[in-house]
Amino acid sequence: MSAKSAAKPTPLLAHPLLWTGTWFAAWVGARAVLESTTVPVWARVAAALAPVPLATMALLTTIRGAREMDELERRIQLEALAIAFILALLLIMTLGLMELAITLNRDDWSYRHVWAMLPMFYFGGVVWARKRYS
Amino acid sequence: MKNRLKVLRAERDWSQADLADRLAVSRQTINSIETGKYDPSLPLALRIGKLFDQPVEVIFTLDGE
Repeated sequence: MSAKSAAKPTPLLAHPLLWTGTWFAAWVGARAVLESTTVPVWARVAAALAPVPLATMALLTTIRGAREMDELERRIQLEALAIAFILALLLIMTLGLMELAITLNRDDWSYRHVWAMLPMFYFGGVVWARKRYS
Repeated sequence: MKNRLKVLRAERDWSQADLADRLAVSRQTINSIETGKYDPSLPLALRIGKLFDQPVEVIFTLDGE
């Protein structure tokens, strides 16, 4: 957290966690709608696209938050993202190779499930980088 | 890179939080600079020099100097 943000609390609607949370809730809702077979096609498409505006708000508030960070916090976030990016590449490339080597169960290893590991890589990177500078 | 930040701060009886407020950075940034885990950017080093009214090269020195 930056000194600026400590002195002036971020308004709730400008907080990235709020929008990330509602984005996730919209994704869960979309999954529930799309798993129903009785929903018309237009509603299925609307449900699939419902998380997009919330993700856009999460992106905009995250960029704004990054601009308000102090220089060490920016360094920590950069290192966390670098770690998460490399680990995400490794995961996807390894899954691609494993798919060629053996038959993977799509219920366990499809993109519907694997994406959830990406935020974990990022938060793991944040913990590692924060520890390095503390 | 070595620095005299902790000494200068102690001379003024400032806490890390006090110094962080004066420089508009986080307390963690001050702690990381003092412990030598993080080298500040040039603008922050200049702000530190201005705050303590000393040249940057007096506060920050390269290892081996």
